[in-house]
Amino acid sequence: MFEMILCGRGGQGIVFLTRLIGDVLTAKGVDVISSETHGMAVRGGSINSHFRIGPFRSPLIREGHADLLLSMDAQETANNAHFLKADGLTVENSSFPSATTARRLDASRLAREIGRVQLENVVMLGFASRIRGFPVSADEVREHLAKDPRDVVRSMNLKALEAGVEAALAPWHKVTP
Amino acid sequence: MGNEAIGRGIIEAGCSVVAAYPGTPSSEVLGSLVHWKKELDLPVYLEWSINEKVAVEVAYGASLSGIRSAAVMKMVGLNVASDPFLSAAYLGVRGGMVLVVADDPGPHSSQTEQDSRWFAWLAKVPVLDPGTPAEALAMTLRAFALSEKYEVPVVLRPCLRVCHARQNVRLGEIPAPPDVGPFTRNWTRWAAIPKFRLVLHKELNEKLEIIRSEEPESKPRPIVEGSGKGMAVITSGSVSSHVCDVLASDHRLKDIDAYKVDLPFPADWRAMQQIVDTHDKTLVIEETYPVLELQLNDRRRVQGRVSGFVPSQGELVPELVEDLIVQAIGLSTTLRKPPQIKPRRPTLCAGCPHRPAFYMIKKVFGKAIYTGDIGCYTLGINMGAVDTCLCMGASLGMAGGFVRRGGLHTAGRAGSATHHDRLEGVPEGATVVATIGDSTFYHAGVAALINAVHTNAQFVLVVMDNGVSAMTGGQPTPAGSHLADGSPAKPVDMERLIRGCGVDFLEVVDPYNHDALEKSLLRARAFTYERSSGPSVVVTRRPCVRMPDSQRSDERFVVTEACDHCMTCMRDLECPALNYIKEEKRMEIDPDVCSGCGFCAHVCPARAIEPGKD
Repeated sequence: MFEMILCGRGGQGIVFLTRLIGDVLTAKGVDVISSETHGMAVRGGSINSHFRIGPFRSPLIREGHADLLLSMDAQETANNAHFLKADGLTVENSSFPSATTARRLDASRLAREIGRVQLENVVMLGFASRIRGFPVSADEVREHLAKDPRDVVRSMNLKALEAGVEAALAPWHKVTP
Repeated sequence: MGNEAIGRGIIEAGCSVVAAYPGTPSSEVLGSLVHWKKELDLPVYLEWSINEKVAVEVAYGASLSGIRSAAVMKMVGLNVASDPFLSAAYLGVRGGMVLVVADDPGPHSSQTEQDSRWFAWLAKVPVLDPGTPAEALAMTLRAFALSEKYEVPVVLRPCLRVCHARQNVRLGEIPAPPDVGPFTRNWTRWAAIPKFRLVLHKELNEKLEIIRSEEPESKPRPIVEGSGKGMAVITSGSVSSHVCDVLASDHRLKDIDAYKVDLPFPADWRAMQQIVDTHDKTLVIEETYPVLELQLNDRRRVQGRVSGFVPSQGELVPELVEDLIVQAIGLSTTLRKPPQIKPRRPTLCAGCPHRPAFYMIKKVFGKAIYTGDIGCYTLGINMGAVDTCLCMGASLGMAGGFVRRGGLHTAGRAGSATHHDRLEGVPEGATVVATIGDSTFYHAGVAALINAVHTNAQFVLVVMDNGVSAMTGGQPTPAGSHLADGSPAKPVDMERLIRGCGVDFLEVVDPYNHDALEKSLLRARAFTYERSSGPSVVVTRRPCVRMPDSQRSDERFVVTEACDHCMTCMRDLECPALNYIKEEKRMEIDPDVCSGCGFCAHVCPARAIEPGKD
């Protein structure tokens, strides 16, 4: 059983990430149930997805039950912190340094360097995929993204994924200047 | 996604006609049908109807013709469609007809928390209530079968937590579309006058009694087995999934029996009563109205919404379900710190054409009353340019009422009004500007506009035309040249329509053309309030920035040292690309968010915003 909250601002690709991870796991035959935000909030408001692996029927995570919080925005991390277990891990897109309970990466900066800040979600996914216990591996994500028939989208996504993976392999102090 | 599972269910039921109007959380059902139609080359007819009433009528006509049909909407859409819905229950159907009505307990993206199971009860129509996307698929098939068997429309009521949940579902076969044979004339049935309606009402009641006693879905089915006595939970719909998970996660709750009613109306109340009578206590957990609870005759040992134990409003989230169950068996609840949540408020996108429109409306009309409507542009409240939001199309209808205060039938005198002047001769509070989006205008605005013209209601209407239903994902409007699946459609010209309503002042303007927009609004103001010549209409037309045809600019803007921190841009534009960096006391335009519309540069009093590289 694994429970994860993904959060950020509307437009940061939270739904895209939720579906991508879900699709990768579904293809492996893993039981996944998740919940997404749509509608009014998508206009720049607070967005979160609940993502649960295991024999669940409900798509919602209770407060204090999430193993991991994957956040695209520091302010939204605070808005969703109550979902985390006491020993849960935060993986956050921010320019601040990492700590024991929070791994951070300036994914926006890396995505901008690649050419599109909108790729920040894929950069974060690459970064998170290197964390022990994360439900999908970088190889699995890579394989999935490589199936996109659109040449530009495929190559940009793969580039963003590699940037995130490399950042995770580098020593922390180099990743977060 | 639950909505995609429902779409798949509609296909697997061999449904031939589907009509829908977009609305969160229902919008993705028709989108998934478009996908299946294209991928599998199915003969199903799909349309985004002009509104929910028409969608239900289209589906009903198809059903009477002998084929299976569905109408898809959100719960407030059923309010719009209530007239054909309630009447169709009496008349009955031929080909199976299902109304998919998505509920939004919370509410997350809606005006009300109304319970469509309750609405189905009012209409005397059977309603199925899925708990998961997989159940939603299976129940869609059952809904068609029940509808055809009993010749009644059937409602499928998924809540948001089913619509927007994602789960693996098993796909089934796609049959040849069923056909019960062509329509034959029988006016005592299909055009029944009141005398025959009485007969039909009796028939409907008899059908419901048979469904209640014979169909397995109307009986509570065990979903968690406990000790068979002590406490029981009776539940329905998406909240039943939370009940399951909560009971499975806490060994202190292992003696509790839980039952789910898949068909909450007409529920087999005798079977429910038996559960109540054989347990010490029964907790009824359902969203959002006490539909199951009220069907119980003896509620002395029942706790639920009627008894006051379950809150009468708000979504029953898993934490709350846990607390209710734990409290009901007399244990102490988990102490939770109230989360410190500062939710970000939604805003119009950077570059949204509604932003300059609202800004100019405020500039030209100052302290007027601004009646608003349902769509992205409801967010004009952030800019102080939307004062009311009631329901689809109400901006026009309400404007027609607002202007009656002070008896504004006669002329205000022509004044030398400059931009911020009050209008001379117009009573306080009688200047009214209504704003409505194009899709909402077609949906419910046209009749209200005719009414305003006919009654000489003196207000200014701004139709914000971005070509799509933007909030729900960009569905086409009747002005478009394509149907839902991309096949050709006849565009209904908005200008001809507005003129056809009898409007004498109509101008169409690009909201990015700021000066032209302002002048157009000034002319509308003069027409309506200085010459009191009736309602005037300004259409601000530019594609939604989220759509592929939006022609976004690559230009970016920077804030120069001329910025004197007057905050005009922050206050009046509320653009998400504008940031004030407090620590450094400077304004910044986020080039990642900016869409290059340049409106801030136009508005800045210090002329401190210039084109430039980041």
